[in-house]
Amino acid sequence: MRPFVYEQPTDISAAVALASNFTTRDDQPTRANAQFIAGGTNLADYMKLGVAEPNRLLDLNRLEEQKLRQIRVTEDGIRFGALVRMGEAADHREIKERYPVIAESLHLAASGQIRNMASLAGNVLQRTRCEYFRETSWACNKRMPGSGCAAMDGFNRQHAVLGGSTACIATYHGDFAQALIALDAVVLTEGSRGARKIPFAKLHRQPGDTPHIETDLAADEIITAIEVPALPWGRRSLYLKIRDRESYAFALASAAVALDLDGETVREARIALGGVATVPWRASAAEEVLQGKKLDDASAGAAADAAFAEAQPRQHNAFKIELGKRTLVRALLETRDMKV
Amino acid sequence: MDAAAPRPKENQGEPLPRVDARLKVTGQAHYPADLPAASIAYGALATSSIARGKVTKLRLDDARAVPGVLDIVTYGDMDKIDKPKFGNSSATSIGPLHDRTIFHDGQIIALAVAETFEAAEEAAQLIRAEYEEDKPTASFDSPGTKTVAAAGKSPMFKEDVKAGDFDAAFAAAAVKIDQRYSTPTQHHNPIELFSTTAYWQGDQLVVHEPSQNVTGWKVELARQLKMDPANVRIVSPFIGGAFGSKGPMTPRTAIVAVAAKRLGRPVRCVTSRMQAFGTQTYRAETRHRIRIGAGKDGRITAFAHEGWEVTSRPDLYVVGGTSATGRMYGYGSVLTHVSLVQADRNTPGYMRSPPETPYVYALENAMDEMAVALGMDPVEFRRINEPKTEPIGKKPFSSRSLIQCYDQAAEAFGWARRDPKIGAMRDGEWLIGMGCATAIYPTAVAPCAARVRLTVDGDVRLQCGSHEIGTGVRTVAGQMASERLGVAIDKISVEMGDSSLPPAPVSGGSISTASVCSAVLKACDAIRTKLFAAATAEGGPLAGSHNEEFDLADGKIVAKSGASAKVENVLKAMQVGAIEEYAEFAPKGATPEALKKLYAGTPEFHGGEQDEDSVKYAFGAEFVEVRINRYTREIRVPRIVGAFAAGRIMNTRTARSQLMGGMIWGIGQALHEATEVDRRYARYVNRDLQDYLVPVNADIKDLQVILVPEIDHAVNPAGVKGLGELGNVGTAAAVASAVFHATGKRIRDLPIRIEQLLV
Amino acid sequence: MSQPSASHVALNRRNFMTGTVSAAAAVPLLGSPAKTQEVTQSRARLREPVVTTLRINKQRHELSLDPRTSLLDALRDHAGLTGTKKGCDHGQCGACTVLVDGKRVLSCLSFAVMNDGKEVTTIEGLASSDGKLHPMQQAFIDHDAFQCGYCTPGQIMSAIGCVNEGHAESENDIREYMSGNICRCAAYPNIVAAVLQARGETRGA
Repeated sequence: MRPFVYEQPTDISAAVALASNFTTRDDQPTRANAQFIAGGTNLADYMKLGVAEPNRLLDLNRLEEQKLRQIRVTEDGIRFGALVRMGEAADHREIKERYPVIAESLHLAASGQIRNMASLAGNVLQRTRCEYFRETSWACNKRMPGSGCAAMDGFNRQHAVLGGSTACIATYHGDFAQALIALDAVVLTEGSRGARKIPFAKLHRQPGDTPHIETDLAADEIITAIEVPALPWGRRSLYLKIRDRESYAFALASAAVALDLDGETVREARIALGGVATVPWRASAAEEVLQGKKLDDASAGAAADAAFAEAQPRQHNAFKIELGKRTLVRALLETRDMKV
Repeated sequence: MDAAAPRPKENQGEPLPRVDARLKVTGQAHYPADLPAASIAYGALATSSIARGKVTKLRLDDARAVPGVLDIVTYGDMDKIDKPKFGNSSATSIGPLHDRTIFHDGQIIALAVAETFEAAEEAAQLIRAEYEEDKPTASFDSPGTKTVAAAGKSPMFKEDVKAGDFDAAFAAAAVKIDQRYSTPTQHHNPIELFSTTAYWQGDQLVVHEPSQNVTGWKVELARQLKMDPANVRIVSPFIGGAFGSKGPMTPRTAIVAVAAKRLGRPVRCVTSRMQAFGTQTYRAETRHRIRIGAGKDGRITAFAHEGWEVTSRPDLYVVGGTSATGRMYGYGSVLTHVSLVQADRNTPGYMRSPPETPYVYALENAMDEMAVALGMDPVEFRRINEPKTEPIGKKPFSSRSLIQCYDQAAEAFGWARRDPKIGAMRDGEWLIGMGCATAIYPTAVAPCAARVRLTVDGDVRLQCGSHEIGTGVRTVAGQMASERLGVAIDKISVEMGDSSLPPAPVSGGSISTASVCSAVLKACDAIRTKLFAAATAEGGPLAGSHNEEFDLADGKIVAKSGASAKVENVLKAMQVGAIEEYAEFAPKGATPEALKKLYAGTPEFHGGEQDEDSVKYAFGAEFVEVRINRYTREIRVPRIVGAFAAGRIMNTRTARSQLMGGMIWGIGQALHEATEVDRRYARYVNRDLQDYLVPVNADIKDLQVILVPEIDHAVNPAGVKGLGELGNVGTAAAVASAVFHATGKRIRDLPIRIEQLLV
Repeated sequence: MSQPSASHVALNRRNFMTGTVSAAAAVPLLGSPAKTQEVTQSRARLREPVVTTLRINKQRHELSLDPRTSLLDALRDHAGLTGTKKGCDHGQCGACTVLVDGKRVLSCLSFAVMNDGKEVTTIEGLASSDGKLHPMQQAFIDHDAFQCGYCTPGQIMSAIGCVNEGHAESENDIREYMSGNICRCAAYPNIVAAVLQARGETRGA
């Protein structure tokens, strides 16, 4: 690990000021000299591996703004402070009752210890776990732009079939983000260029030709909160995660689903897919297929086909197309059958 | 009664808690990397990122410039040291710093040593190698492999066993199968990281390192360093899981010893988990072709098992499981052949039931296919082919309780409730499958020494250079002494894991309990003889009762007649404070050189298939229930029952735990474990516990172990058959059988994964 | 490692922000368009040790640490508490689990300096001073919930955390919430039995 200077800013503006002082306008947050740390579960791992090399760490855990640590559930929706830990949100009674898809996406992620450490903002910003990204001796366009992608023709069982490019097929492995993107969440940030509200769907960037650019954030921008607009029918929602073992593993495929039903007919569907895409993945085409239709095996299958119409398999991950479809079908039918 | 402490049945010992349990739950069990050492320096390895070629240049300037860096050991620095010698005590013949040739991915190219762990890691990451790279050969089917016959390449695998005329019998068989199976590369991944801590006291070298073979390592390390073995000490009192990975020493040990010598201070190197995939051994990937022919009555008339195994270029490591599979059932005729396929890989090594895990998996999956082909219940099919003698040498089994195991496990599992029709059993959206398979493991034993001291205060000190890798050997050795000396277990201290103790064989091949307990038994019996002689001598407390049988209980010598005398008083009469006996146990059939070889760290193994009088195996039967989701096809094993017979059980608690752990290993073998090789580069891809999956707590639900009583006096004086490697044999085949039952899909390549069931 | 200078020891997180411009900032100061009124240089320098105070098992430890030192290595190599184990160093096995301010965390993924002023409980801090074991420790013995013992300190700390979080209500709960602790010897059913036995007493402990 490279050595770093450790800083403990005491409020958001101080943190932003420090960051802007030690980064430049064009720096990517993941490549900047100064980087923020909260839970550390992702960054400390990548610093040890030599993947992240900040020489200045700005610890956000001493920020004095209490709203950073609060969850508010109101008629307008949910407001998660950025420093709320995954475990607190997963266990929040009202969220479990009113937005089960959110609670389940958190509960099925990581382990008890990691959920106690990881902040919600840090969780949505977690970087890919691609094996070729993690180990610095491999070619990786995300880690070292222009060096190539060893995964493309390597062992790519866990890699993405949606949203990839010729430069990168690394999967976005988070779970919580799938619930957020499905529910039209908004991310609140503060930075040297002011405060912003970023639709969650615009936060992550598909790799394209620049897989090293992972998000829309500037290096001196801090996520302060995540807001989820109210969804009165959010009780009929779930997160289904399919993995090789029963717990503590990344998704091979997952689906976040919320349904507004009129009898058996879909008034509105919200669908996001995990484990199969390079970024949190809203399956809008699948939602459209279902709108106004009776939800049954056939329409669920049609929605799944639409969701994966653009999928691009590689050698070892081709099964994710079939698995992703079946995961979505199962999630839709289970959501339909929920007693709410 | 508590499931963890089964009530002992016939020939089974008490479920005493482990003697080191308190140390382990309080953090006071000190594993080798826990050793506090003043002025310790920290080492970190740099390893190659290619699998084949030469290091043309090593740039060390950036690494040396890191503040706190003390030394970098690399090419040239090991020239006065002998290269490792491949064998039981050494994982490889590759001396990674002896020349610049790269034989495999992750080969050590340097050791950076610094004042702090952080500086050492930083420096190691800054070491830059330039290579002249050759196209490497990854594995089977890669261009450039070299195939050689395995027979005779290892002292453990002398021949391709055969019997009768297979070709004729197979051609004539009414029902037959001819199928291929495969198992992947697997890494042991004990949770304790591999580490070496070395320091010198004058010309004496002390190495703290987790080891399953302290005596062997002492001798091999002394040979590499050109030292008298008497000046080398290996210390390993607790080992944080081993499973074979800490059996052979790796080249790192000598490198760290050299670094400590150069610096004149202790050096500790803890290998990262990623680096361990290339610097330690692993289970070789294997392929199998199995042909079975049988009559319509289900009697097997022809069995052929061909195996192929990956090994490195320099070292011919043999897995070789056909000596067991060829003797498993009454086959009629047997044909076997094993080939080694050399590629640009690190040398494989022992991993829990090394030959049996892959070979018996293939056999038992084939047996299940054969039962299906015959339209026969798989348990019945095995019952029909139960042999009177083993088919190769026509020798009897010293004991064989396989059918009892099947009967008891089937009963507990509820096999009778299984609907044999494919896909017939369901629970909502979950398909249910049930399957079974046989477990087998050779019963071997090796020479072993032990020192036992009984004091006038009734304390016992037991010393033996065996290894507590989690098996409970410390506890069962103590139990043996407790039983023979009539002393409570809490009065017995057991010292193990140090090459300065009386030598024990490598803790591998499931020989430790049998070998150690036989040596302890011998030492204790020598103490008994002395005590009884003294007690009955003229003037002794039991004078005159020469012809009686005696026993020791509760600190007393008790005669059959009821007369008794306190041991304390006998010792006082002898005018000694303690009796100490040093026993050297050599198994039946041992050569005249056997004890010498024990001290030289190359102990003879006896038993298994090698003895003249009989073949010696432990057996078991495992039944599993799998559940597979109708849509998404993930596979879970909510229920597993295993019944095992392994001669005398010293302690039902530790025995059950080992078998339970083995069965869960078996589930991991079936569904999770595989090290993926990037075939373009012959490099490992999933080198950590994030991507190399092993079962977690939530994967295991209802698990039952049945200890089937069995008495076998032929195996060794202790009557013990090893069982540490029995539990994970056959499990994967039982899972494959259950998956077939649930889905109609026969999966022959491990691990069984979701993608194989989606198509 | 050199001892920290007196001025460094005096630094706390308040005057980090209000300190004067550092004498030798290791990194060139680059354009910062906004917030010019803020003083944004700290006095900390690259490779300088940081004094970190941890309360470990109710004892105060003042440690001079490389900021890169993980909480795990601080416990093992600096506080001499080697009961906490390193199994992967990357948050994948759970062997390094300790309680920080009562919550179970992975000490390998936390830099020690980030825990300044916090209460850390390790396996060595569970038994009472008269040697009486914590109920969870006793339950692990009773149910043979380990073999090699290496993951055991992490399992026990995690089990206590799991119970205190209210996640030990059923066997399935325990299995799920203990899945972050890998036991390669695979004592899982025994671990579940141990947590069941000790959960009542642990809640009160």
